[in-house]
Amino acid sequence: MRRALSHPSFMIGLVLTGFIVTIALLSLFWTPHDPGKMQILQRLRPPSVQFWLGTDQFGRDIASMLMVGARNALLVGIVAVGIGFVVGMMLGVFAAQHEGSLLDEILMRLLDFTFAFPAVLSAILILTFLGPGVVNAVIAIGIYSVPIFARLARGAALQVFSRDFIRAARLAGCSRLSILRRHVLPNIAGLMIVQASLQFSLAILAEAGLSYLGIGTQPPNPSWGRMLFDAQTYMARAPLVAVFPGVAIAMAALAFNLLGDGLRDLLDPRLKER
Amino acid sequence: MLRFLARRGLSMAATLLVAAIVIFVVLEILPGDPAVAMLGVSATAENVAAIRLELGLDKPAFTRFLYWISGLFVGDLGISYSYRVPVAQLIAERLAVTVPLALLAQMLAVLMGITLGVFAAARAHSRLDAGIMALSQLGVATPNFVFGILLILAFSLTLGWLPAGGFPGWGEGGWRALRALALPAFSLSLPQAAILARITRSAMLEALSEDFIRTARAKGLTRGQIIRRHALPNALVPVITMIGLQFSFLVTGTIIVENVFSLPGLGRLVIQAIGGHDVILLKSLVLLFVGAVIVINALVDIAYGIVDPRLRKMPR
Amino acid sequence: MMKIGPETPVPASSGRLRRHARLGTACSTILAAFLCSNGLATAQNRDSVTVCQTLEPTILDPTASAAAAIREVTYANIFEGLVGFDRNSKLVPRLAESWQASPDGMKYTFKLRAGAAFHDGTPVTSADVKFSFDRAGAPDSKNPQKWIFEPIGAVAAPAPDTVEITLKTYAADFLEGLAWGDAIILSEKSVAKAATEPVGTGPYRFVRWNRGDRLVLERNDAWWGGKASIKSATFRFIADPQAQVSAMLSGDCDAFTNIGAPEAVDQLKKDGRLVVTIGSTEGETILAMNNAKAPLSDIRVRKAIAMAVDRKLVNEGAISGFGTPIGSHFSPNHPAYIDLTGEVKFDTKAAKALLAEAGLANGFKVSLRLPPPAYARRGGEIIAAMLAEIGITAEIEPVEWPQWLERVFRNKDFDLTVISHVEPMDLNIYARDGYYFGYSSPELKAAVAATKTARSEAERKAAFEAAQRQIARDQVNAFLFMLPKITVAKKGLTGMWPSWPMPANPLAELKWE
Repeated sequence: MRRALSHPSFMIGLVLTGFIVTIALLSLFWTPHDPGKMQILQRLRPPSVQFWLGTDQFGRDIASMLMVGARNALLVGIVAVGIGFVVGMMLGVFAAQHEGSLLDEILMRLLDFTFAFPAVLSAILILTFLGPGVVNAVIAIGIYSVPIFARLARGAALQVFSRDFIRAARLAGCSRLSILRRHVLPNIAGLMIVQASLQFSLAILAEAGLSYLGIGTQPPNPSWGRMLFDAQTYMARAPLVAVFPGVAIAMAALAFNLLGDGLRDLLDPRLKER
Repeated sequence: MLRFLARRGLSMAATLLVAAIVIFVVLEILPGDPAVAMLGVSATAENVAAIRLELGLDKPAFTRFLYWISGLFVGDLGISYSYRVPVAQLIAERLAVTVPLALLAQMLAVLMGITLGVFAAARAHSRLDAGIMALSQLGVATPNFVFGILLILAFSLTLGWLPAGGFPGWGEGGWRALRALALPAFSLSLPQAAILARITRSAMLEALSEDFIRTARAKGLTRGQIIRRHALPNALVPVITMIGLQFSFLVTGTIIVENVFSLPGLGRLVIQAIGGHDVILLKSLVLLFVGAVIVINALVDIAYGIVDPRLRKMPR
Repeated sequence: MMKIGPETPVPASSGRLRRHARLGTACSTILAAFLCSNGLATAQNRDSVTVCQTLEPTILDPTASAAAAIREVTYANIFEGLVGFDRNSKLVPRLAESWQASPDGMKYTFKLRAGAAFHDGTPVTSADVKFSFDRAGAPDSKNPQKWIFEPIGAVAAPAPDTVEITLKTYAADFLEGLAWGDAIILSEKSVAKAATEPVGTGPYRFVRWNRGDRLVLERNDAWWGGKASIKSATFRFIADPQAQVSAMLSGDCDAFTNIGAPEAVDQLKKDGRLVVTIGSTEGETILAMNNAKAPLSDIRVRKAIAMAVDRKLVNEGAISGFGTPIGSHFSPNHPAYIDLTGEVKFDTKAAKALLAEAGLANGFKVSLRLPPPAYARRGGEIIAAMLAEIGITAEIEPVEWPQWLERVFRNKDFDLTVISHVEPMDLNIYARDGYYFGYSSPELKAAVAATKTARSEAERKAAFEAAQRQIARDQVNAFLFMLPKITVAKKGLTGMWPSWPMPANPLAELKWE
């Protein structure tokens, strides 16, 4: 029953993700127009045969910009989640290995502490300090997902460590590293991947938010959040210019949320949300 | 119980102190000079020195930190560099926008979220349930600023019902102020409502599957009565916890939403303080946001400790 | 709430009425009542005016901060100088009734106006003038325009209504300087509160300030110039362009001093209740270049950049084409202006050839730092795209004002930036050593010095012309356009300045018809 129910959302997530990935990959080779080409006298045109989704305030082709924007969003997601995933997993497993030690305590306290700083506010401060830009935004978003992965990895690893087969492996004289590689990591990987998918969606939303505030991705690189910000001023004249990037952001976040939920159900039905 | 409270309170105070230190250090090294920021393109070295003296920037950092922290206890947060009025006064003025906005949004979120969640659970696995859950997925995926812009498009630009932004102030009558807050609060509440609907639904389903429900059903209570009197009160504990946890998202959500609707609240003040390099204002503002999150999380923890039946049973 | 008098014209807007009629059927529920309650917002009260503007000042003392927003609120409203500018940049008497300059131009004698008084009732005397100018010129002064006071040798107060100023160096622009908002007359008694609760001499007195939202002024009935027409005036601050437009359309603002959404002008013009006036400011908007840094130190490179930038399209894309094109750093409103826009023609091919000549055929990378205003951010994005056409990669970095001032202006850590120099008559910045352009030219310094020492108008005009040519010839920066002033006012409200010889909104000139 549960499995059957979970499948539709997984499938929708998969299809949407596939669509976004395809578009992003396609944009590497082809876009309907040059996304950076400004034709100021053709600005704010409604959708037409020539410009499928119309043009923006500088007369750039919105469809092409959205395509390259998809690439940007995916790249931000991959790198930011990658940072969080790798660093978080290392910290979490490390803490689990030294459970109860002072080091573990300090590490966990530190991670708890970061939760006290609201993500948006911290990202704004980090970006004011480091200077705005997509690289710094990715770092800020990545840093923010470290504690989430670390906590998850620590909890999952603790469970694995308490299992009998680990004790058996230890008794058999396996090295720490090989226990980690052969037993611990494979056992927590599923959980981490599910979380990665959900974090991916959060990373895309975070980048969009920061770019909306003008401190994320900088022009001429197209970013959905920035397109939305630019469009807001022209909304009375060309409402669709604001609608398209908004839809793109929501669609991408939805895709990875559904994918994550679906994966969770498929990998381990017991993990179904509370 | 008392020990639990004391321990929780102490750790909260420690976290706040560490937060204050981190904020101070980070803001001290922000690039830019407030004195130059105030004088603009015509500033001379003499001008700048005069301003730095007036702002107390010539004193060592540690002294300024002590001033700040000791001032916090008596409500004296110093004088804003850029506005030249007490920081406490600036913050108090802005709270009159941000607090109503956050509360209104929270109310809307709870109202919409719980109602939808209960309906979904009551008709579990029906089309209504599927529809509500699909909507909630969309709600979770759509950030509040996207909602904000779509709402402006629909209700301000197309229908002309509500203002697209700005705030008339409470002095012009509460009605106009509330109208200005309607769209921001709504866009702030939608993602929260979506999350609450999902939590409510699963908590309700869990409650509905428990033994006492079967007993109640056996006693001949109607479905509505069972949901209202038995299932909902039991499902509320996780829902309330979630509301607490989400409150910090709501508070920081105001930063972006106030910028979408150009409301003169704390969130906009943060951006203005960054824009004016008003470090003295910024550090108190950031601490206020961080402190709110820390305090609320601690309160949720404590409330959970009190409400949780297992803790309730413990001897005092 | 606003009063509705019998003589008050209620603007009839068919669109609005229809909208409400349509809604009327739905207005029975509480929600609908909530949505419908703004119906009366357009009724007009002739005793009050709400003037809206983009930027909010952070303090109100123009002698302590250079922010234009301060002057927009206080100039000729709260504060006055001995003299002032009118809407046509003409020098007019304010606190000084008359003045006389000695034949050699080294001594000025001002006769103060009888009846001029501060808002707290104390009369304005020569002692206040001496206090204000001594304070502004003192070594520890925070006055943002110290050059105004630098020529002053001594200020004397021989009688309560007479001020004598002796110059130590001749300055042809001395009187002009005294008309700036930085040369206002303050009282020693109230100067400490000038930043937050100003006490001035002008036609309006400060009442209250809800920061982040509005500032309320009230007519000063004891003003030397008589009673202003409107009793109560409110400045509202609305930063977001979209919100500015809706505030005008909903009637929340009676006037907008310079609306930040040029793209909405057509929409506003269509509204029969509003009048839109396109004027100009004194803001020379330029693509500033770091002349001291390679490869921009090469004039061929600067010329190539200037050629690659299509001024017309930047104007169109950044501010909907409302700017007046300029070819040098000088305002077309000034009698000494010469049109140099034809000096450099938009020509991508020639630009590329020039780059090749400079040994940069393969292009190069530069930073392009952009301050917050829309003209800079949008204009910068367009310019970056144009520079890409000739192989120059401009890396855009948006910066907040403090960072711009610190990094670009002060530390000259930049290659390119887009900025509007909003101060009037600021050509002399090109003669300043260490100014952020990194430009130094003996010819230009001589020309600028000549504008100061000129003894006749003709001589001064010739000097200004020479300076304009020199700056254009050296292609110090790429000159784009003058920022427009787009004034929107309700029909019936007259007296808004159509152009800004300096940022100011004198409320005493406003009137409801």
